Amino acid sequence: MRIAQIALQTLLVLLLGPLVTGFIQKLKARLQCRAGASLWQPYRDLAKLLRKGTVQSDTASPFFRAVPVLVLAAIATAATLVPVLWAPAGSAHPRLGDAILLLALFALARFLLAIGALDAGGAFGGMGASREMTVGLLVEPALMMAVFSVGVAGGTTDLVDLAARRGAVEALAWQAPDLLAFFAVLILTIAETGRIPVDNPDTHLELTMLHEGMLLEHSGPGLACIALATHTKQLVILALVAALFFPLGLSPDAAPGHVALALAAFGAKVLALAVFLAVVESSYAKLRFFRVPQFLGLGLVCAFLALALRVL
Amino acid sequence: MSVELATRLIDILGALLLFTMLLILAAGQMYRAIYAVATQAVFLGVAGAVLGAATGNVDLWTIAAITIVVKAGLLPWLLIRVVRRVGISREIEPVIPTTITLAMAAAIVVLAFWLNASLGAVRQAITGNALPVGVALTLIGVLVMATRRKALVQMVGLFASENGIFFTAMAVSQGMPLIIEIGVILDVVLGALVMGILVLRVRSSVDDTDIADLENLKG
Repeated sequence: MRIAQIALQTLLVLLLGPLVTGFIQKLKARLQCRAGASLWQPYRDLAKLLRKGTVQSDTASPFFRAVPVLVLAAIATAATLVPVLWAPAGSAHPRLGDAILLLALFALARFLLAIGALDAGGAFGGMGASREMTVGLLVEPALMMAVFSVGVAGGTTDLVDLAARRGAVEALAWQAPDLLAFFAVLILTIAETGRIPVDNPDTHLELTMLHEGMLLEHSGPGLACIALATHTKQLVILALVAALFFPLGLSPDAAPGHVALALAAFGAKVLALAVFLAVVESSYAKLRFFRVPQFLGLGLVCAFLALALRVL
Repeated sequence: MSVELATRLIDILGALLLFTMLLILAAGQMYRAIYAVATQAVFLGVAGAVLGAATGNVDLWTIAAITIVVKAGLLPWLLIRVVRRVGISREIEPVIPTTITLAMAAAIVVLAFWLNASLGAVRQAITGNALPVGVALTLIGVLVMATRRKALVQMVGLFASENGIFFTAMAVSQGMPLIIEIGVILDVVLGALVMGILVLRVRSSVDDTDIADLENLKG
C-alpha cells in the first residue's frame, strides 16, 4: 500500500516537473510583457528531443552515454524520498531513506553531470563543471544545515516522519530558527534550481552559464533525460521546502477526501514557490560569478545560525 | 496577550532583526543597506508594540510609533537624500571581503548566545532570546562600521547598532521611561544630521566620502 503511494507520488513529480518549469517561464514572460511560450512547451521540447538521434564527441568514453540515464535515475530516486501527498504518522511505513540520502542523491547527480561534462572534452563543459562544483560546495553544506535545523526540532531526519509530526502538532509552530532556516532555504533554492541571480537557465552560449554549460555535449534522448532530471529536481526541491516548512494538508491515510485536499495543498505550495522564483528571476540581474559566493554566503550564514540557535 | 505568545513573537522578531542585519552586511549597494536598516526599524517598532501589549505599558506603544516614524521613515529618507546629493558611486566597498564579514557575524551571534547561556538567573527576567539577539545586533553594527569605507554605510552601521541597544533595553527593562526613550531618539536624529552635514562637507572639500583618505591628512 505504502509502496504504491510512493510510486504514485514519484510519478506525479516526474510528470508535473516540466509543467512547473513551463509555468515559471510563462510567468516570467508575462512579467516582461511578452506572450511567452505555452505552459506545455517543456513537454514538447522533451518529445522533440526523444525523437532525435544522438551525436557524440569523438573523445568521449562509453560512460558518457550512461551519464544522462544515471542522472535521471538519481533524481527520480530522490523524488521518492519527499512527502508529496501522503505522510502517514508513526513508524509503520517502510523507510526508503531520509533527508541525508536525498541530499546525497542530489550531490551524486551533480557529480555525474560534472564528470560527463569533463569526459566530453569541450571547453565549455569543463568550465561549467568547475563552476557548478564551486556553487555546490557552498549550497550543499548550507542546505544540510537548514535541514538539520528543522530535523533537530522534529527529532528525526526522515522527511515523512518530520512532516507528519510537525503537521500534526501545531499547524505553523514556527520558532526563530525555523524562520532563519526558511530564509536560508529560499536563497539556496534559487541556486539549486539554477536560476537568476546565480545561474541563467535560458542561455546556452554565455560565459556565465553554469548548469547549461555542462549540457552542451549532450544531445537527443540523453539531453531529454537530463532536461527531465532538471525539471524533476526543481520540483523535488520545492516539495522539500514545502515538507520542511509548510507540512500542512498532507494526507495521513488513503481516504479520497484527504488525498484531494493534499493534492490541492501541494499545488498551492508549489505555485507560491514558483511565483517566488519567477518574481526573483524577473527583478534581479545575473550576478557576476565572483559575487555568487557573497550571495550564497548569506544563505550559508543563515543556515548556520538556524542550526546554532536550535542547539544553543 | 499572554506571556507565552509574547515570548514567541519576540523570538521571531529577534530572528527577523538578525536576518535584516545580515542583509545589511551582505548588501553590495548602498540603497539595499538603507532599505534593510529601515526594515529592521519596522521590526523593532513591532517588537515594541508586542511588548507594550504584553506588559500593558502604554509608553511602549508611543515608543513603537516614534521608532517606526523616525527610524523607518525619517532617517532612511535623510540617508537616501544625502546619497543623492553626494552623487557617489553606489557600490559598497568593504575593507575585508564580505564573505569574511559574514563569517565573523555568525561567530558574534554564536558567542552572544553562548555567553547568554552562562547568565542563568539573569536570563529569567528577560523576554525570550532578546538579550543575546540585542547584544549580537549591537556588535554586528560595530562590525559594519569597522569594515566599511564609506561614511554613509558607517552611518547605517551606527543605526543598526543603535537598533540593537534599543531592542535590548526594551526587552530587559520592559520599557524605559518615555522621556529617556525620546531623548535617545532625538540623539540619534541629531547624530544623523551632524553626520549628514559632515559627509556633505567632506565631499565638498576632498571630493570623496572614503574615510580611509582622511589618513593622508595626518602630519
